[in-house]
Amino acid sequence: MHIPDGFVPPSVSIAGYAITGGVTWYSLRQISRERNPQEKIPKASLLTAAFFVASLIHIPIPPTSIHLVLNGIMGAILGYYAFPAIAIGLFFQAALFQHGGLSTLGINAVVMGIPALLAYHLFQLRDPALRVLPHRFSTQQQKRWTKILAFGAGAGALGLSAIIFTVVIITNLSPDIDAQTERNAIYLSLIGYGIQAVLEGIFTVMLISFIEKVKPELLK
Amino acid sequence: MKLFLDRYAHLDSPIHRWEQSYKLVGLLGLIFAFAFIQKLVLLPIIIVITSIIFILSGLPLSFLLSRLRYPGLFILAVVIFLPFVAGNTVILSWSWLSLKQEGLLTSLLISVRFFCILTVSLVLFGTAPFLNTMKAIRTLGLPETIVDMTILTYRYLEELGEMLFTMQRAMKLRGFQPKNINRRNLKIFAQLAGSLLIRSYEKSQRVYQAMILRGYGYNLDRLPKKSKQFKAKKQNLLATTVILIIALSLIVAEVLLPENIL
Repeated sequence: MHIPDGFVPPSVSIAGYAITGGVTWYSLRQISRERNPQEKIPKASLLTAAFFVASLIHIPIPPTSIHLVLNGIMGAILGYYAFPAIAIGLFFQAALFQHGGLSTLGINAVVMGIPALLAYHLFQLRDPALRVLPHRFSTQQQKRWTKILAFGAGAGALGLSAIIFTVVIITNLSPDIDAQTERNAIYLSLIGYGIQAVLEGIFTVMLISFIEKVKPELLK
Repeated sequence: MKLFLDRYAHLDSPIHRWEQSYKLVGLLGLIFAFAFIQKLVLLPIIIVITSIIFILSGLPLSFLLSRLRYPGLFILAVVIFLPFVAGNTVILSWSWLSLKQEGLLTSLLISVRFFCILTVSLVLFGTAPFLNTMKAIRTLGLPETIVDMTILTYRYLEELGEMLFTMQRAMKLRGFQPKNINRRNLKIFAQLAGSLLIRSYEKSQRVYQAMILRGYGYNLDRLPKKSKQFKAKKQNLLATTVILIIALSLIVAEVLLPENIL
């Protein structure tokens, strides 16, 4: 789900870079408000590398196999570091594997990164609900609430990325495709991505429950 | 997982001698100019420019070809698909399939642009050690946090890749050979990804402690603003100016050429 070099008009590339610049600036400002912002740099960097590597895991779905995007859980774990982390991950994918590209780095970061930030805010809802109303929630309910949010973060982030990606690429690919064909192509690819979004959501739930059991501090 | 991005950084060529920060400015300018091209007349020109840069860089052709294999599929799908759906001018018709001129030309435009940008960015990253590229980016004013994160990520990519392969090999040895997707298999994959994340997290804590022990975070202000490595040399400046002029002329040509010239 990366837009390669040369696929979209320059205006889209430039707009992508502008939005990425703005969001990065905002994320960095939020990060610098923390008590010791440098402390989290190694954590964010190694997890960026880990997510990059984890997205290489291929999950067999006969007759083919897919790889996971994981931008929802990146948001949930990395918080505001997720946006720079995704931009860096995309940079390496462009530089090392030629997935995506340098001129489209900005727009690709928007496609993947903004849903990740939204997923972060969605997953954050876990805390206030538990803090404000601790007596209302049994442990069982807390677990279920976390699972629902994890699913929403995982599936929602991927779904939103898929929507932005599909709309950007199909409306910009060629001025000569007629509107009806465009619409059909968008619907068709969204059905495919919908299935993947559900899978990604389930995977995120499993991953979050695993981390919660083994290393809960990672989700703090 | 072997990355090999700067495998040919040790070669000696005019492009290799061009200092990375100047090269970065020049070639990035060129890449954006290429992305700007919409008129087919300009395509031969950018192919010639790209070829000259690639030949000057002395990188082996096999390196470029091996890099082209990965992105192929998506490009191929679009380039094959587009000539049949976009446009009105039918060139060839074969039962319900009809090859259309506009789509064909757009495909050509997209694939040439893609190929040229990819080659130039390969030259940009392939002709200097990666750390030099990062130093160059730092001197150009990218925020410190981002540069540090990029360097650390690069440092651990390969190591974590090895970690993943070791874990996957261990899973295979224990008989995990998933042929299809079900709840159990997906859970095992989630645990694999989770273990990878947790191990990296624990590693990052040790890395951070080692970094503070070596004084990380205390010398940021005392670093000289521009390191001596990037002292301006005339040739560097000249090369960057020439490339930027070429990039600018491409954009001007793109804007000024009349619409009907394709």
